[in-house]
Amino acid sequence: MVSKTEQSQLDRLENQVDNGGGGDWEYLCLVRKLKVRRSDKVLKYGLAILNDPKKRSSLGQDEWTLYEQVAIAAMDCQSIDAAKDCIKVLQKKFSESKRVGRLEAMLLEAKGSWAEAEKAYSSLLEDNPLDQVVHKRRVAMAKAQGNISGAIEWLNKYLEIFMADNDAWRELAEIYVSLQMYKQAAFCYEELILSQPTVPLYHLAYADVLYTLGGLENLQMAKKYYASTIDLTGGKNTRALFGICLCTSAIGHLAKGRNKEEKDSPELQSLAVTALEKDYKQRAPEKLSLLTTALKSMKIS
Amino acid sequence: MGLGFAVGVFGVLILAHAAYSTIQYRGLLKIMEEEFSGPPMNVVIELLLGFAVCMWAALTVPGNFLSIHPYADENRIVSLPANLDFMIFNHRGKAFPLDLDLKLKH
Repeated sequence: MVSKTEQSQLDRLENQVDNGGGGDWEYLCLVRKLKVRRSDKVLKYGLAILNDPKKRSSLGQDEWTLYEQVAIAAMDCQSIDAAKDCIKVLQKKFSESKRVGRLEAMLLEAKGSWAEAEKAYSSLLEDNPLDQVVHKRRVAMAKAQGNISGAIEWLNKYLEIFMADNDAWRELAEIYVSLQMYKQAAFCYEELILSQPTVPLYHLAYADVLYTLGGLENLQMAKKYYASTIDLTGGKNTRALFGICLCTSAIGHLAKGRNKEEKDSPELQSLAVTALEKDYKQRAPEKLSLLTTALKSMKIS
Repeated sequence: MGLGFAVGVFGVLILAHAAYSTIQYRGLLKIMEEEFSGPPMNVVIELLLGFAVCMWAALTVPGNFLSIHPYADENRIVSLPANLDFMIFNHRGKAFPLDLDLKLKH
């Protein structure tokens, strides 16, 4: 989870490192801690540290973590040679390690030799059948080969065993959304909200899925979840504010023919509109006219 | 940290002194064969002073307060981590390999 302060810290460090202001190692640590994907930068600055014997030896034990990080980043950037060299160093140091074995299998994956990678993963699983990362790699491999239904099948099997793995639930939800299977995606997001009720982004994603599903009941639910996102973010999430406006407009359209007895909280959307206008006035005054026309076309302001 | 800690120790000393004074006062009362109705004024002032100093030290020494609001900047989650366990390597970046000469040189 990346909070607002961590995000700004990362941006600041990234800027500093890009301009040659030092702090490379701190930046790499932060990238690792926040689990963000900055492979090109990790490869560039990580290799610079590894190629400098003085800097490398000053890291102590963290040196090996950096080798691993750089190896994965190199695979992501298709620099197979660099990845191979890093893995070779790790192999020399930890010859029996499962973690290095995993890296080697990932290298096979990056090269595109799927059958060999599959073989490597199965032999790793034979040694330790409950290795979560290897299970996840198999899902990713199915996805990389374009076998989305296979990935879903693997992931469902995986989630039957490891039900508390939030990342896997999120991955499954995203796959379902990409296939437009919104009902299944909604189930995954419900699961995520249940296990981490304070993360506003899950509420937001769930509301998005419900809004996409449509229908009066779903729209009303979506509006509630957009409202809870606003509650958790203190109104600083623009997407949730727009969501409230869109839901109100869509509910208005659907309920036009029916009796208008359930006009719940008419002040909610006017408050959202006010918050949006204030936000735009503060951060992008030149786009304010766009906002007002968009809101007018929704017939709510 | 150093200052706050010293102030805290000073506060505890004041409280200890107040306790000592009270005991002495009671001893004096026993000799004069009077009833104990309450501690003398200077002990009460000492107690209040010691309490205030200790409280100040206890609030400053352990560190700053953290926000518990979910929408505070430290707690507000703005993005989820990239799902690195599920990362795949044959993405569109494959079409644009980095043209840097990146090699491990040892």
